[in-house]
Amino acid sequence: MQSNRLGWILLAPTLVILFFFGVLPFIYVVYVSFHQWNPFAADPTMIFNGADNFRKIVFDAEFLNSVSVTVIFVLFAVISELVVGYVLAQAFMKEFPGKAIFRTIHTLPLIMAPIIVGSVWKLMMTPSIGIIPHYLNAWFGISINIGTSPVAAFATIIIMDIWHWTPLVTLTLIAALVSLPPDPFEQAQIDGANKRQIFFHITVPMIAPAVVATVFIRLMDALRTVDEVWMLTGGGPGSATRFVGVHIFKEVFPKTNYGYGSTISVIVLYLTIVACWLLYVTMLAPRNKKD
Amino acid sequence: MSNPDNSPLASAHHEEEDTPAVSSPKVGFLPIETNWFDRLFISVVIWVALSLFWFRFVEPLGLSIWISNAIALALAVLIITKG
Repeated sequence: MQSNRLGWILLAPTLVILFFFGVLPFIYVVYVSFHQWNPFAADPTMIFNGADNFRKIVFDAEFLNSVSVTVIFVLFAVISELVVGYVLAQAFMKEFPGKAIFRTIHTLPLIMAPIIVGSVWKLMMTPSIGIIPHYLNAWFGISINIGTSPVAAFATIIIMDIWHWTPLVTLTLIAALVSLPPDPFEQAQIDGANKRQIFFHITVPMIAPAVVATVFIRLMDALRTVDEVWMLTGGGPGSATRFVGVHIFKEVFPKTNYGYGSTISVIVLYLTIVACWLLYVTMLAPRNKKD
Repeated sequence: MSNPDNSPLASAHHEEEDTPAVSSPKVGFLPIETNWFDRLFISVVIWVALSLFWFRFVEPLGLSIWISNAIALALAVLIITKG
């Protein structure tokens, strides 16, 4: 009983902070999502409108389009980051000349604020002054303009996200790989297992918790990407890169539609939680053993 | 040599063993081990999904959202008690 009470006492500051900065704002957003509210209107009072915002959202073509665009972006970005991050982590497990310098340079994008990343990539991608369109045109004869081509804009955002966040995946996977005990690998080699068998039957199951944690972090981050996209494309051309984060921003700030913006936020939070939960159930949750 | 059962570490170990488990996994019809909070969470997820589906496809046909809520409530009771 003593250790139980001590545990609660030690947890109390964290729980209090979480309640005021996590739970209360969430409850408030859910509350606002059931209202029509424009705080800058002549009449700024909240008007309760039941589930009308949720009725509206399932027919909102712009929102549904933004969800599908976001899901495609998240799939491409997170899977690519995981693959590239794993390859780089395996490379960093070996010794090679200039490893320390390469590791430092490779980690640099992580320390850049997303809005800086967006503006730097905007400069690099702008036709006539950007280095990337210039060399693509000079070397390969490819003309690229993210202001007019939806595919180019979308691909650029995915590449930018991979460039920015792969180091995080690499670092977490290096931590997981370093902590693996050598015995199972040695035993597998003695038993004659090949590299593919060792990878799928030993490495992957042993680093699965770290992979899932990394995917959780990247999934949640990618689903709420705003600033990089806002700086690079502003959601355009058309609605090609109008991700849900950008959609919420445009709904809440220029339109000052706080009630509906909160509804979109609640639905996006719901989708994020469900995606993470499904991932957890698929990868890690203990199965029922029925005899 | 002191008696190992009288050492502080041994008593702490016994104390941990005496502490009841916070949540007890249960074997039900769900394919994963769950405690009551997991089953409540699954029920809420289904309730929200069913409501959104209802708003989009069923309510335009004239069926009230309260039918969806009743179905979700029945499912929640089933999942929490037998899941």
